[in-house]
Order: sequence, then C-alpha cells, then structure tokens
Amino acid sequence: MTSLRRWCVVAVVAAVVVAAPLLPRLVPASASDVTAAELLSRVQASGDQAYSGYVETDGAVQLAVGDDFSDLAELFGDRLRLRVWWQDEDAWRVNRLLLSGEEDLVHDGERTTSYDYERARAVTSRDPDIRLPRTSDLVPPSMGRITTDGADADEVSRLPARRIAGVSAPGLRLEPASGQTTIDHVDLWADEETGLALRVEVYAGSSAPVLTTVFEEFSAAGPEPDQVADTWSGQVERDFDDTVDLADAANQYAPFRVPRRVAGLERRTAGTGAVGVYGTGVTRLIAVPLREGDADDLRESLLGSPAAVATDTGTLLAVGPVSVFLTSEGFSYVLAGTVTDETLLRAAEDIVAGVRLRGRFE
Amino acid sequence: MSRDTAIRTQGLTKYFGRFEAVSDLSLDVREGDVYGFLGANGSGKTTTVRMLLGLVLATSGEIEVLGRPMPRSGREVLPHVGSMIEGPAAYAHLSGRANLTLFDAMAPRSRRTGRKDRVEETLDRVGLGGVDERPVKNYSLGMRQRLGLAAALLRKPRLLVLDEPTNGLDPQGIRDIRALLLELNADGTTVFVSSHLLAEIEQLCTRVGVLDRGRMVVQEELAVLRAPTGRILLGTPDPDAAIAQLDRLGRSVEQHDGRRLAVRAADAAELNAELVRAGIGVDELSVERRSLEDVVLAATSAGNDTFARPPRAVQDAS
Amino acid sequence: MIRVELSKLLRSRRTWTTIALIDALPTLVGVLLAVTDLGPRPGEGPAFLSAVLTDGTLFPLAALAIVLPLFLPIAVSVTAGEAIAGEAAAGTLRYVLVRPVGRLRLLVAKLVAAMAFVVLTVLVVAATAYVVGVALLGDQSVQVVGSTSVSGTSLSTPELVGRTFLALGYAMLCMLGVAAIALFLSTVASSSLGAALGTMSIFVGSSLLLTLDASEAIRDYLPTRYWLAFVDLFRDPILWRDLQAGVILQVAYVAVFFAAAWANFATKDVTD
Ligand SMILES: Nc1ncnc2c1ncn2[C@@H]1O[C@H](COP(=O)(O)OP(=O)(O)OP(=O)(O)O)[C@@H](O)[C@H]1O
Ligand SMILES: [Mg+2]
Repeated sequence: MTSLRRWCVVAVVAAVVVAAPLLPRLVPASASDVTAAELLSRVQASGDQAYSGYVETDGAVQLAVGDDFSDLAELFGDRLRLRVWWQDEDAWRVNRLLLSGEEDLVHDGERTTSYDYERARAVTSRDPDIRLPRTSDLVPPSMGRITTDGADADEVSRLPARRIAGVSAPGLRLEPASGQTTIDHVDLWADEETGLALRVEVYAGSSAPVLTTVFEEFSAAGPEPDQVADTWSGQVERDFDDTVDLADAANQYAPFRVPRRVAGLERRTAGTGAVGVYGTGVTRLIAVPLREGDADDLRESLLGSPAAVATDTGTLLAVGPVSVFLTSEGFSYVLAGTVTDETLLRAAEDIVAGVRLRGRFE
Repeated sequence: MSRDTAIRTQGLTKYFGRFEAVSDLSLDVREGDVYGFLGANGSGKTTTVRMLLGLVLATSGEIEVLGRPMPRSGREVLPHVGSMIEGPAAYAHLSGRANLTLFDAMAPRSRRTGRKDRVEETLDRVGLGGVDERPVKNYSLGMRQRLGLAAALLRKPRLLVLDEPTNGLDPQGIRDIRALLLELNADGTTVFVSSHLLAEIEQLCTRVGVLDRGRMVVQEELAVLRAPTGRILLGTPDPDAAIAQLDRLGRSVEQHDGRRLAVRAADAAELNAELVRAGIGVDELSVERRSLEDVVLAATSAGNDTFARPPRAVQDAS
Repeated sequence: MIRVELSKLLRSRRTWTTIALIDALPTLVGVLLAVTDLGPRPGEGPAFLSAVLTDGTLFPLAALAIVLPLFLPIAVSVTAGEAIAGEAAAGTLRYVLVRPVGRLRLLVAKLVAAMAFVVLTVLVVAATAYVVGVALLGDQSVQVVGSTSVSGTSLSTPELVGRTFLALGYAMLCMLGVAAIALFLSTVASSSLGAALGTMSIFVGSSLLLTLDASEAIRDYLPTRYWLAFVDLFRDPILWRDLQAGVILQVAYVAVFFAAAWANFATKDVTD
C-alpha cells in the first residue's frame, strides 16, 4: 500500500469517528398537530408525572450577589449536571453532580433532605412556605411549569417539533403579554403525552438564551421506590434544620409583614410572613428582609459590579434578565426578579411603604 | 558466471527531496564475493546500503537480495543478512551480552534454546568473549564496533553488508576484522563492504564497485583492475648505461627518474637477464600494476562532499 | 517483539524511577493528611480526598485523582514519545528493523509496552495508596460496614473493590489514548523530547479548552474530556453516560492515532 493510500485510510477512520456521534441528530422529529393551548395545559399539569433522566443546564446570568447568595448565582450562571428521579411532587430526588462529589436533594412528603458528599452531611428540613430557587426548580419539567405558570392560551404559539434525548417533542413558544417582565420569550419542547418539558430555553432580548435546561437522557419510567427514599449510609452525619435557606429563615423569624400587592403584582403566598413572592410565570419577584450586616455585605458585592447604580432609595443592579434592588431607607429589603427596573423600583417603594411590624408589636 | 547473485540492483535511484543521492545504480554482487563498495564522502554508499536492507525506500529501480525482491521479501531475506550501517548502535544501559540477547530475541521465529550459546559464540568470534557485564555506554569505540559486528554475525548470515566496519579501530583491530571476514568468506559467506579506505579494500576484496556522486563508475574484479600495465619498473646504479643498452635492444624507456626506469616489456626475468648479460647491475625489479587509487581517482571527480563555491564571473575591470 | 519490549521496559532503571516519583506525591499527600488531619475544603482539591479522612480505603481513588490529570500523562508521554524517536536517536532503530522486525509489529510492541508501563504505574500507585490509606488514614475507631458512595448510600466492600478496579481500568484506558498520541508523534518527530512535549501540549491544551465556553462545539472530542469520569463509578446508581463516552472517545483516539502512526512509519525512510 502506498503512503497516500494509508493516509486515506487514516482520514476515513478519523472522519467516521468524528461523524458517528453526530448521526443521531440527523433523525428527524415527527411532526405533531397538538395545539399550543393543549400543550400548554399539559405542561402546566405535569407535576405528578413520573420520569427520570439526566439534565444539563447552562445559565448565563452572572449575579454579583456575594457569599450569602452564591448558591443562587451558581444556579443561574453556571453549567449544572443533574440526575433526576421523579415519582410525583411528593417523592423525588435531584442529584447535582460535581467533579469531586455531589449535592443531592431528596424530597419525601413534607420534608426535603439536602446531602453534600464532601461534607458527609445530610440536613433535613420541612417544606417551607417560601424559599429561594434550588436545583429541583431547574430540571426542565419544573422549569416548564414555573415559566408557564399563569400563562394564557393567547400568549403561546406552536414551534416545530425537535428530537430531545430520543423523544420527538412538539415545541411551544411563550411570549408573555405583561410589559413588566424582562423575559422576552420562553421556548420549550415537551413530551406530547405527559406534558413533561424536555428542553426549556429562556430568552431575554438577545438571540442566545440566558438559561437553557435540557434532558440529555430521559425515561418516562419513574424511579424505583428506594431511589427517592432515605438511604444514607452510616457514615453520613444526619441533621435537622428549622429553615431551608435565608429566605425561609427571614420569612419565619423577621418581625415584618409584607403587603399583598406591590407594583401591581399579587403576592403568591397567603400568610403573614416577612418575605413576599409576587407575580406569576416569568413576571416574578421576591422581597426578602436582611439583617444590617448581611445587607451591608450584599450592598458591597452589588457595588463591586460596574453595572450597579446607586439611587436615593437604594442600590440597583440589573444583570441580563435579573434585577436586584437593595433598599437603603427604613428596613433593608432586597428585591430580585425577572422584572423591569421600573417595576422593581416601584415594588421597592410599595414594600417600604407597606411593611408592617408583626408579632407582639402588632 | 555460474555463481548465484547475492545482490543485484537495476536502475536504483533515490531522491531526497530534489537531491539525487543515488542515480541509476546497477550493482552486481555474486555469492562468495568479497565486494568492496568504494566512494568518496557523500557519494551515496550508506544510502545504497539502506536501500538494500529496506530502511530507505528507493524512488525507482529494483533490488534483489539473495534472489528475492527487496524490500517486499524482507521477512524472508533479512534473517540471512547480517549488517552494520554507519557505525554500531546498542541499548546503552544494557551490557553487550544483554544487547545481543535482545537482538537475537527480536528476530522472527527466533528460538530461546541455544540463545545463550549463540551469544557467547558470537562474542568469542569478535574477540569480546571475556567482556564483563558493564553497560555498553562504558564501552570504548573499538568495543562498540566489535559488538556491532557481533550483532551482525549473530544469526550466521549468508550475506554480510557492512558499512565502514573498521571505523575507529586500531591497526590490530583492523587486522582482526579483516582476518575474520576472510575466514567467514572462506566458509561461504558473501561479504559486501563499503568504505573509502582504498588500502583496506585492496587487501580484502575480490570485486570492487566505485561510486561517484551516486553513479557507479567502475565495477570489476579487482584482479582485472590490477592487471599488469605492460611496463616493468627497474632500478639500477648505472641508469645511463642501462638506457644505452636498452636502446640497443630496441626497448623503449618510457620514464626516467634518477636511477629508476620504466621500460615497456612483458617479461621481467628476460629483461633482467639482458641487462645483467651486458654487465649492468639491477637492484630493483617489478612488474608495474595500476593501484586501486589510480583507478578510483581516474574514475571519479573531485570529492562529492566538497561543496566548492562555483567560480565567480570574471569582473570586467575597465 | 512484545516480550523484548517488555523486558527492556522492566530492565530500565528509568521506568522504576519514574514510577517511584509518581508514587511519591500521593504518598506524601496521604502522610500529610494523616499528620495534620486537614482535609481540603469542599469543592477544592481532588475527588475523594475529603472522604479519606474518615474512610482510608478510598485513598487509592484519591491517589488516582491526584496523579491522573498531570503526573501520569506526563510520564506516559515521555515513555511512549521515546518509542520510535528514541530508538532512532540511539541508532538502534535500523538494527531492530533489519532483524527483521516488521514496522507494524514494532509499533504494536511499543504501544503494548507503553500500556504495560501504565498498568504497572497505576497498580503501584493504587497499592501504595491502599497501604497508606489503611495504615495511616481513616477513622479506625469507627468500625463501619462498607463505605459511602458519592450519592450518600452505602457501598459494600466487594462493591467498592469492584468499582475501584473498574476505575483503575478506566484510567489506564485514558492513558492508552495519551500513549497512542505520543507514539504517533514519536514517528514524526526526530527527537523523543519533541514527541513528549507535543503530547503534553495536546492534553494541557485540551484541559484548557475544556474550561472555555467558546470551545463548546468541540468539547466532546477533546481527549481529556472524560478523564475524571471515573468518579461516576461511585455514584449510586453508577452514571454510565460519561464513562461510556470516555471509553468510546479513547478507543477512537487510539484507533486514529495508531493508524496515523502506521501510515507515517510504514514507508518512512530510516536515515538516522
Ligand atoms: N535523509 C537525507 N535527506 C537528505 N539528504 C540526504 C539524506 N541522507 C543522505 N543524504 C545525502 O545523500 C548523499 C549520500 O549520502 P550517504 O550517507 O549515502 O553518503 P556516503 O557515501 O555514505 O558518505 P560517507 O562516506 O561520508 O559515509 C549525501 O550528499 C547526503 O547529504
Ligand atoms: Mg556513509
């Protein structure tokens, strides 16, 4: 064989190994005639559908919010690899895979246990009224439900089907009618039968999504029962915590009560907590009171970012679709959400004006 | 010409890029020969040897070694060929013995039985029988050369291809090697030696080929090249009388240098008798033969490796 | 020829010095951990290193995670980079080829020898680490049954042993990919140093590209992409996805680069 012939063989081998992984993408997705409204309602109602799979998320929101909120910044600014087993809203497990370990969430009825391999610790807490986003909100079905929450049929349109993790999934575009959100549109593709979103892309103006979450592997079969049960080994330190996160703690213990409406958005939760979550779907914001020390730390982090703006009433930082505002008069409240700056500032005014002391000061 | 050919090439040509290192070479070595392959530095000897052994691929032309085409039949041919190419080489951190054992084990179908004996016997042959276990990196140049030769001899080859085998050896070593090669040749081994040392080739070889800038300029039996020139060289204490006498005898004196004369004559004994009969003493007498050096220098141009600058264009100084 | 190459490998003092040097780092880390009892902070340091303070039997894995990203591939590049270029520089290549040793056979033998080096190194590292881990590390007062998986469930000892050997095998395969690249470069470069440096720059470059978002499109083709996926063997249940991809990727690298080595070397002029 001549040298040229041998190099041709090498070139063919190389071409084959490069092209082989790309072949599955050539399989076309089968078209579907499900209507947008029908698909929307299936997505919204998919909470108790069982599934399991492997998810990759890619967030482009770089929040400079300091150490207290670093988990949150990772959630929307990093790539995450997640394994999910979902029986229904009451029994699921989401494992966040790290290079050198895992951070897992296991939900069992009323309780959530978060486990960290490197700390060898599993901390259980009861489900709170209000909490910050966590990894289980990022899996495509949850993300699909969160973003389409409260959406009307006239806000959605159909997109062509795509093949995702081997499943042919009809697409849905949500273009929020509200002028208060920073989210331009959300594209999602869902399993036609179960309504489980398989891929969700959130867009805020630019052509690249600010957040993508997608199943790389998907099975409509639910988990084995012991997969979502409490099965920690004897070496894992067990613990119980009254609060899930900072928002939950503030909600329970800070002596305030937030108003029912801010900037025209309704409060999502009943009750008399110090933390408020307002709005629906992609028009959403949260208001959390901070202790003075924490507020100072956060203010410093925010001001560290060149995009931060100091106003008379506080500090505003808008990063991509997410705006954060920290009040400086009266109580220290931090407001954050996927709403326009104007909405957020109005909401801050309403909070400052409407917050009441509760408990024995009431 | 009844003997089989050991090496035959036809139109062998090698280009390194655009440089033609070997050009249309036709070698003809027969079994039983001790063939001397002569040529100046850079004339293409080593390149030719590499092509014979399949290390370098010819650009064009055909090679036949021991009756089989090369490099296609390398697997069958090379086990019967021992070689040394441009100096010896060995794994420096191992002893000579370990090196030979490894080289022996590398060959296809080499059997483990008798390996130790083969190695010891070969070491004895090249005069390294008593060497200790020191690693080859501590060997002297001569020891390495002998070890290289041992590696070539390891499998009792039918054909030995040696590129400058005596490089770096002392006179005693050179003589040992020469004796060894002649002994092997007497036992039927064909020997192909390349060298630029004319004297060495002259003492060893039966046939020579001379390479000049990649081209074969002479290929002949040594005996033919060194045939008598038809002149007799004589020395006499009385050159004038001798010249007068030879004139009388009708013999032509072609050269006269002091007391030495070169005379055209066929038979030295007769010439001697004629002069002695005339009362002229003769104290030196020999038949003139061409030296290999004359042959080679006559056939080749200036050194192949001397890259003299071409003469500058003559300046017109007006 | 394979036997000859192996015997050369085992008889070379350099082989053993290299293995000793590679082995020294995890051993030192183990001793320091045992003395100071200071584990790495979560999210920093190699995988499993935080866990060995309570469970010494995991130390072979931590040792693997320590040597796999840099030390081991460097040693493999140097060893395999020497394969052809080193023989050529020493002048022995021509004598090997006229033995005769077929060129393809020589390449195979060289790759096998490089692999043998990898296997030997990994086993030595794992064995030393096991001894260090059991003798010095771990919380001997807590006699636990089995170990903890990365997902927090318990792993029985047979499971742990089985998965550890799978992890070692996977690491060896990854190094075979490095060896194939080095072997190819060794047929191209005229010095073994060049081949070794070339190989190192390939995997260092690959590790760098992996950290860039811009290299998204070629990520999954980079040779170091799945090197650390052996951690997935210790999740519960085992996450085969990256391991499978890693095995296929390495096999592809070996196939392509070995074929390239053969294509280049089969008719190369040996003029050193
Ligand atoms: N790999 C190569 N690339 C380019 N040119 C080469 C190569 N090898 C040899 N040459 C050239 O080919 C010519 C013949 O070289 P070769 O080594 O065959 O000469 P030689 O007759 O053995 O000389 P010496 O007596 O000095 O050993 C030289 O001019 C040399 O420069
Ligand atoms: Mg030469």
